[in-house]
Amino acid sequence: MRRKGSPWTGLAPVFLKELADHLSSARMRVLEWLVLLTGIAAVYTAIREIGSVTAEDPFLLLRLFTHARDPLPSFVSLLGFLIPLVAIGLGFDAVNSEFSRRTMSRVLAQPIYRDALLVGKFLAGLGTLAISLVALWLLIVGLGLVLLGVPPSGEEVLRSLTFLVVTLFYGGVWLAVAILFSVLFRSTATSALCAIGLWLLLTILWPILVPFIVQAIIPPDPAAIILGVTSLEQIELQQTLSRFSPNTLFGEIVLALLHPSTRALGLVFPSQLQGALLGAPLPFGESLLLVWPQITGLIAAVILLFAITYVSFQRQEIRA
Amino acid sequence: MRSIFLILAILMQVVLGTSPATAAEAPSEIKGLWLVTDYPALTVRAGETSTVGIRLQNYNLPPERVTLSVDGVPEDWKVALLGGGQPIGAVMPATNETVSFQLRIDVPAETASGPHKLVLRAKGQSASAELPLDISLGNDLPAKLSLKPKLPALRGTSRSNFDYELDIRNESGKDLLVQLAAVAPPNFQTSFTENYGSQEVTSVPIAAGQTKTMKLKVDPPDNIAADEYRVVASVAAEDARAEVPLTMQITGRPELRIAGKDGRLSGEAEAGEKSTFTLVVSNEGTAPIRDVEISGTPPGQWEVSFEPKKIDLLGPGEKAEVQAALTPSAKAIAGDYMTTFRASGEGASSSADFRITVRTSTLWGVVGLGLIAVALLVVVGAVARYGRR
Repeated sequence: MRRKGSPWTGLAPVFLKELADHLSSARMRVLEWLVLLTGIAAVYTAIREIGSVTAEDPFLLLRLFTHARDPLPSFVSLLGFLIPLVAIGLGFDAVNSEFSRRTMSRVLAQPIYRDALLVGKFLAGLGTLAISLVALWLLIVGLGLVLLGVPPSGEEVLRSLTFLVVTLFYGGVWLAVAILFSVLFRSTATSALCAIGLWLLLTILWPILVPFIVQAIIPPDPAAIILGVTSLEQIELQQTLSRFSPNTLFGEIVLALLHPSTRALGLVFPSQLQGALLGAPLPFGESLLLVWPQITGLIAAVILLFAITYVSFQRQEIRA
Repeated sequence: MRSIFLILAILMQVVLGTSPATAAEAPSEIKGLWLVTDYPALTVRAGETSTVGIRLQNYNLPPERVTLSVDGVPEDWKVALLGGGQPIGAVMPATNETVSFQLRIDVPAETASGPHKLVLRAKGQSASAELPLDISLGNDLPAKLSLKPKLPALRGTSRSNFDYELDIRNESGKDLLVQLAAVAPPNFQTSFTENYGSQEVTSVPIAAGQTKTMKLKVDPPDNIAADEYRVVASVAAEDARAEVPLTMQITGRPELRIAGKDGRLSGEAEAGEKSTFTLVVSNEGTAPIRDVEISGTPPGQWEVSFEPKKIDLLGPGEKAEVQAALTPSAKAIAGDYMTTFRASGEGASSSADFRITVRTSTLWGVVGLGLIAVALLVVVGAVARYGRR
């Protein structure tokens, strides 16, 4: 028997309630401070260094994001590490905590479909991420303006805003993973552990594992071993495999967007570089086109992970 | 006058009777003292000082003191005998030797022009000699200059230097300050320099009877048409003047230039797609250029073709448009590349570097959007299948 009406009835109350819960929760506050303090520290050291060292640079604002000074990594690499943590923190108990608190049946007793509940929870997580990221972005641009005194150009703003959107989707992937685990596992501890385990696997272990997998799939021929070179197929496979990790995708996008002189991400043959003016920045459109597959991958991953979460949540049995 | 002939006769006797180169040696048959001068009759200017060189020769006489005196000096004239710069009264020539000295004559300004006869006497104990001198008063010689070029006709391109060497001779009897001038066609630069000097000069002092070589440098305008041009060099001093025509034959010079239309040296092209650029080939020289070929050296695996490939004739000041069709390699990476376009004709060539910004196809961007749409469709399908529970 099919029910009538829009599946999104009640989306707004769920979204607003979840958003309010997130923004006032102690967990979120801890995570935000973590991101804020490390981010500010990275940017501040970058500003100090840029202010004293950097020569004329047409993309000074972008240097704020990418400049690294020992011992602190650059702001973007900090974000690449911390955003998954925040996203998992926001989503790992999204659904199963409702079960453990026995509130799920009460919520669903309202004129709210499961569709609206799940979408509302997911969007609230994304919204929380977006709010904190925008605040962080504004803080950095403001710090740059105050401490460097150089107004950003239109292209810089465009690039850094695109970077903001991409970061949001990168967080969205991990949020979707966390919500998926919170649907699959009834225990919040299990889902948190699984999400963090997957994150560690893809972020830290995957780059180490990929070369071994490549060696296993395409055994190197003896001549290549003697010469100590990797074959073309191996390099291509290695790149394809490493791009399964959202971390790699995010890193490549950041490289192309925030370093405008990046012209290619994969293998480049010398014949392609003949006559090329190295170091000349690409127009924004070309940079975007260069990493469009990666951006597409991130967005599609968010949607597909959400679809899997949705299907598995809809098929679950919920009792009072 | 008779005395002049007399002296000449004596001199001829001396010269013919002995071997000419050994006048100082003792001809055995001649014995005595002689006063000798090169010009026994001369013209001097009133109010000026003239000097006459005189020699006293002793043939086969023992050295003795010879007293000198001048007779017949008109009133107001001042006459002095100078030997070694000092006034002298006597000389003492050794046997078969000669003593040179000068007779300085100061002629006052108001003096009758008629010929005056002076007699210079040399009186020793055993011999004596006398030398009559005819002095007449004359006017100044007029200043006279002559100008002679070493090479009066030169040939070269409009960028060459035309250097004419001019010999200026002061043919008058006094030193002159000579003004130098040259008349050339408009916009020609002319300058006089000393022969191996760099300083430009407008006038030069030349001593009486001397010749000085000056250099006239003519620099024609760069864009002058090929033709024969005439330059007149002139020198002037007081009322003397001399001029000489010089010719310079300027041959044409071709000069090619290639550039983008409106001077643009950059363009955009899409990877794997043909893009057309308009190039302008112009002849900025003064001679026509034949068979101008257009070529290009793009980065590897790019294709380039030109329409037209060749310009048969490009006259001076003419321009021709060439369409360059450039196809970047399909695998070209986005970004900026350098491409060189070259035009080369007979005797001239030119090249220009173009900065080509390569854009990549947006096809994959559309494919990416399609993938996102597919993912959204999956969600919609899931909602349709499992929704509203």
